[in-house]
Amino acid sequence: MLCDDVRRVVYFFLDGSMGDRKQSEFRSHLDDCPDCETRTAAHRRLREFIRKRLSPIGAPEHLKIRLSASLHVSAE
Amino acid sequence: MKSAEVQEHEQGWDFERAAMPYVDSLYNTAYRMTRNSEDAEDLVQETYLKAYKYYDKFEEGTNFKAWLFKIMKNTFINNYRKKKLTPHKIDFSEIEESYERVIQKNAPDLIRDPESEIFQDMMDADVKRALDSLPHDYKMVVLLADIEGFSYKEIAEILDCPVGTVMSRLYRGRKMLERTLLDYARKYGYIRGEAEPAKMRSRKDETKGRKKKDDAKPEEGEAVEPDDNEEEVLFAGADDEEFEFEVEDEEDEQFEIE
Ligand SMILES: [Zn+2]
Repeated sequence: MLCDDVRRVVYFFLDGSMGDRKQSEFRSHLDDCPDCETRTAAHRRLREFIRKRLSPIGAPEHLKIRLSASLHVSAE
Repeated sequence: MKSAEVQEHEQGWDFERAAMPYVDSLYNTAYRMTRNSEDAEDLVQETYLKAYKYYDKFEEGTNFKAWLFKIMKNTFINNYRKKKLTPHKIDFSEIEESYERVIQKNAPDLIRDPESEIFQDMMDADVKRALDSLPHDYKMVVLLADIEGFSYKEIAEILDCPVGTVMSRLYRGRKMLERTLLDYARKYGYIRGEAEPAKMRSRKDETKGRKKKDDAKPEEGEAVEPDDNEEEVLFAGADDEEFEFEVEDEEDEQFEIE
């Protein structure tokens, strides 16, 4: 894997969605290439930050009650 | 033999038991899609009523959560999307190039600081704004993958598009989102922008300089769509058997403009 390949698939590496062989090729590139290692870590950090800050907003209670009621009305 | 009424009544409970656990997830995505709680509530309610109506069409053993999301996505398109959206085109390769320079320059700082001090002052509202600035299709894949945790395959099913399209939108959507966040971080003065040597300026100059910079930027929240004439083979490796998902034929509606 070359630097360009690594940059192209970095998100899929972080998703763990590449096969084992690709995943380990990626890792061994990082072992030899501090630049890509740093960038991969930066992407990981950004992604953690985004996930943390976009934490789910739950449905309001009144909606749950409304849904439940409407399902039973339409069932009768 | 049960009466039809009793059967229907039982189906109501059955559906409720199956579907209610996903109400928070659906609402969360609905809220991010519609950007306001009233529309989000209506969208979720309509989704539930439709799903209930077609419950007998749901195939046992397939992914119920994905099925609900798919109904919601279709409902959203029918109700809300037709009206608006005159998307502006953006040149993704330009975005990518400038992003490359910014990340290259700032990656060491981003990882050095263990508490992400860079982002400490960034507000949830900033992140929300950054997400909203993504073109709708890109925002959807980012939400479904990164917030709801769906697999590429499930997203492809929900959005009715090939897995390769999901991957390509995910790649671009995440990049655009990261770039916007880094842009905010630069505005707050945490990181360096591109080719901006730090220099002493009088306060007056600084305000002037900043204003100019802001003017040059695209409007926040503006719907932008990548150029449709790009034919980058982004994921040539995707049909490699080493990838664990299948990539269907690229129907290349990939960068279509609505
Ligand atoms: Zn490298």
